[in-house]
Amino acid sequence: MEFRLNNKRFLGSLALTAVFNTIIALFLTHLGFGGGLRINFIFSQSIGLCMCSFILAGHYFVRGPSIPGHVILLLITMPAGATVGAFIGAQIAGFSFSEILSGRPAFFIQMLFIGILFGTMITYFFFSRERISQTEAQLQDEQIKSLTLEKKTLQTHLRLLQAQIEPHFLFNTLSNVLSLLESDPTKGKAMLMDLTRYLRSSLSRTRDKMNTLGQEMDLVRAYLEIYRVRMGERLRYTIEVPGELRDVSFPPMLVQPLVENALKHGLEPRVEGGDIFVKVEEDTDCYRLSVADTGLGFSEDSGAGIGLANVRERLEALFNGKARLILEENQPSGLKVTMEIPHERSEGHYSR
Amino acid sequence: MKEVKAIIADDEGPLRQFLRARLAEVWPELIVSGEAKNGKEALDLIHRHRPHIAFLDIKMPGLTGMEVAEKIPGACRVVFVTAYDEYAVEAFEREAVDYLLKPVSSERLARTVKRLKERLETGANVPAEILHRLITRLSEDEGSRHLRYVRVQHGDGVRLIPVDEVIYFKADDKYTLVITKEGESLVRKPIKELAEELDPEKFWQIHRGTVVNARFIARVSRSLTGKGVVKLQNRPETLSVSNRYMHLFKQM
Repeated sequence: MEFRLNNKRFLGSLALTAVFNTIIALFLTHLGFGGGLRINFIFSQSIGLCMCSFILAGHYFVRGPSIPGHVILLLITMPAGATVGAFIGAQIAGFSFSEILSGRPAFFIQMLFIGILFGTMITYFFFSRERISQTEAQLQDEQIKSLTLEKKTLQTHLRLLQAQIEPHFLFNTLSNVLSLLESDPTKGKAMLMDLTRYLRSSLSRTRDKMNTLGQEMDLVRAYLEIYRVRMGERLRYTIEVPGELRDVSFPPMLVQPLVENALKHGLEPRVEGGDIFVKVEEDTDCYRLSVADTGLGFSEDSGAGIGLANVRERLEALFNGKARLILEENQPSGLKVTMEIPHERSEGHYSR
Repeated sequence: MKEVKAIIADDEGPLRQFLRARLAEVWPELIVSGEAKNGKEALDLIHRHRPHIAFLDIKMPGLTGMEVAEKIPGACRVVFVTAYDEYAVEAFEREAVDYLLKPVSSERLARTVKRLKERLETGANVPAEILHRLITRLSEDEGSRHLRYVRVQHGDGVRLIPVDEVIYFKADDKYTLVITKEGESLVRKPIKELAEELDPEKFWQIHRGTVVNARFIARVSRSLTGKGVVKLQNRPETLSVSNRYMHLFKQM
């Protein structure tokens, strides 16, 4: 627990203490203790306020959540505050020191004892109040956190949907299909089939369902085939997936953005075009999927990697920090993006 | 009317063919004297053939259609071609620049051709300053100019770390240490240079040798000696704040 101090709190605590002091004075007088209401009032105020100031002042030295620190602080400041307060009270009430020490030492000790007793009770009251307000603040923090998370999830879903239907891609592909239907109908039909395949797998599956790695690779192949028609000999690609990994279940639409990134920022803007290599391997504890291109690569002003922030966020949400996305410069040119997906995963996180 | 020459520039072959076929339908007398696959070829063709009209795809490798247009002021009338670009289309409309949307329809092309014929007679062309304005406005939409990745040495290769994943940067002699959840790496750049390239909204310089990612700050407190101390989320270490940077936390 942490105590923070400012003038407002300081004065507020003193005022509340003064109220308690008055109640204590009335209570003691009612019991018939001490030297009447006036004397009791003077002593309880001076002792109480002194203790309170001592404790508050002590907080300048003991901070942070250390409980032993606070206990030691109270063990020192309460008796000290009570003693100093008693002397001040005696001054105000018109008693001399010698009179107190020689004539009525028992009264003085009783006063200290009562001061510390009530002081402990009041300190406990302040402590509890502080704890309640901090618990409330914590609760509020958590509520804000969960709302932020909810908002973030919604935003991710929205971006995922937008990523699936990129208008520039769609219109460009349709224009190509239209022109091929005139000049090369067989090629045009094949392209339309690839577009259909791509749209079906990217749109129809809901994000909560798992696909297989094979399905995802078919989607990527259809996507790359479309680009091969559009870019002609400027694009070459290979996809390498071991047959036994095709049935592994895999989250949808994680590979396609990597390929899209390689095409958009690597190969398309490069006059000569280049190659794309998609490769999946199995390691002892993860699947390693990489998309490498020989394109423009990373330069400070290129847009490379814009679409990858989205993939990173989804990986974080799906695998709870256990998946990794690594970006490297490819040799001799271009970019290589590697995704490491752990073998085991918690389905609970996935369904989010 | 004298013979009119045109060139077509698009990086996608089928689309060049398609536009050529449509032009043959709506403007049979037009001579298409060449096709270009990228911006540089388009520029060469224009210099060589001196066409009256250039159909330029906006998104081409090498040079964009707009960059080509900017390099040939007054040489020929330009028609921009784009598949989909809300910002560009809006800008073309406002500046009354000719443009076509892919896939190009014959009706729409016929309208553009009619306008082109009128304008060829008056000799009116797209003024250079309009082009310049279009290019600067459209390149602003490309995203922020702040650094998004830092290059770090990793084994034999170079890795790219997204700056959003960086918890803080710490000066290390002439270079800079990058601290992420996964560990430390070295950027071969002084922290002063990095600090200038990072987004100041997200990355706060709190000390001559420390730049921290604001989203990882848990809280800030003052030590016994009155120095500011930053506590990070899920990290044991704390970072000290020099007095000259304490103003960053005044609103907290």
